[in-house]
Amino acid sequence: METNKQSHDSSFRDPSGYVFLDKTLVKRCINPIYFKQYFALKNQGFFDKLFKTGLLIKHEELSANESCVVIQPEQIPFITYPYEWSFNQYKAAALLTLKLQKYCLENNFSLKDASAFNVTFYKGHAVFIDTLSFDFYEENTPWRGYKQFITHFFGPLILAHYHGTQMLKLMSNFIDGIPIKMVSSMLPFKTKINPFLYSNIHLLAKFEDKHNEDYKGETKTSSLSLKGQLNIIESLYNNIKKLTLKEESEWGSYYNKTNYSDDAFKFKSNLINSWVLKLKIKTLIDIGGNDGTFVRFIDSKIEQALVCDIDNNAVDFNYTKIKTNKETHILPFVLDVLSPSPSVGFNNKERFSFLKRIKEFTPDVTLALAVIHHMSLSGNITFDMSAKFFASFSKYLIIEFPKRSDSWVERLLKTKGEFKEHFSFYNLESFENTYIRYFDIIEKQSIDNSERIMFLFKVKDV
Amino acid sequence: MYFLYFDPGLGAMIVQAIVAAIAGFLLFSKNLIYKAKMFFGLVKEDDLFDDINIKDTDIENKDDGDE
Repeated sequence: METNKQSHDSSFRDPSGYVFLDKTLVKRCINPIYFKQYFALKNQGFFDKLFKTGLLIKHEELSANESCVVIQPEQIPFITYPYEWSFNQYKAAALLTLKLQKYCLENNFSLKDASAFNVTFYKGHAVFIDTLSFDFYEENTPWRGYKQFITHFFGPLILAHYHGTQMLKLMSNFIDGIPIKMVSSMLPFKTKINPFLYSNIHLLAKFEDKHNEDYKGETKTSSLSLKGQLNIIESLYNNIKKLTLKEESEWGSYYNKTNYSDDAFKFKSNLINSWVLKLKIKTLIDIGGNDGTFVRFIDSKIEQALVCDIDNNAVDFNYTKIKTNKETHILPFVLDVLSPSPSVGFNNKERFSFLKRIKEFTPDVTLALAVIHHMSLSGNITFDMSAKFFASFSKYLIIEFPKRSDSWVERLLKTKGEFKEHFSFYNLESFENTYIRYFDIIEKQSIDNSERIMFLFKVKDV
Repeated sequence: MYFLYFDPGLGAMIVQAIVAAIAGFLLFSKNLIYKAKMFFGLVKEDDLFDDINIKDTDIENKDDGDE
């Protein structure tokens, strides 16, 4: 195990150690340069405290010699990235980081960085996953992670507050944080007369601009008392906790807008439930899963249900439900199926694409309820393309097909005007004929009182 | 010793003294307002997110269902 440890493609920045894959298990090697910190954290019981509070992912030490300590963290089945989080998930991750820093300071440690990629969601909570981010607190030193916190967390959140949740997606372009000058330039003038926003954004941008050419490193080191640092952290915490979105939740009345009768809704959820039960499903992904309504109707024990939607508000609603109900098996995230998260970073390998992650996860079943008409009619995705897509990551597919006579389909077709003829392919026969090239039909059932048909497909054996 | 594998930003290090002073003033004044609101019973609690402090009870009572 000690030999041939190939470090993980996203683990090269911090010399303290690196993550590697041992077959399918994620493990971490700690380098001698970090031994002092590691053993202090371990022997003083601080790691244990962090595990018990649920702030840090648990790990166990597997082996230790003078060149490397190997630890194995609790394995997280599916990692989500900051640009896939809803607004309140983003807030939760930011608050976790601040809470952790305060707790560290109280125990004479400090977070040496504050990257948003140090956090992910697991069992219904935000959890810190970078075990090597902790260092000793040195008296009267400012927080080295401060700028990173602002550009990774507070910047995106305050932009989302003023301009909407699309701003959170900027993080997929700026994986080192949104440039502070850019954040400052995008905020309305009134933020300059708010002392909190002025100091944390505009003044920071000014200072960074002024000092960014100090290549000699001669400028005197700055100092900040512990109390001062705690003030910064607490005021950031209080302000982020109160931060809300200005945009109306379009989602709010979604289920009132659907063209379902109560009976059809019940019929559909019972059908999904019975199919899932029959297949003995343990893991699933619901694409276009809204607030997780249909996943919550499933009675059988699901270990991990990924529920994604393009609408940040729907994901947010789901996340809020998970927190309130203390659910641990649902993982919500934002995903545009027409443009899933790409691979980004050095060699395009630092942060993995949605497709790579979902193929590794291989959910037992994919639910695609009321999405095919959006993909086909709004996204111009042919049936062949969508079938190939759905066949690429799970064995089973439960898909709902709204017929041409469905009111939603009619509405979508109407918006096409003269171009409507182009979509003559959108009908049940052509759907079925195309999908059976990739799948076998196991079940087919029309939903009473609606223009919709449910299919249970199984990927053809290759 | 810190490992500077990323640039913490010199400006960001210096500016923290000012940010901290402003934050200190704001926390102090907001605390006064909070106390006044408490007195008149006007405080609403946000139940989605906890406050920043970790209490000893958090450690003892933490549900470890997966253990």
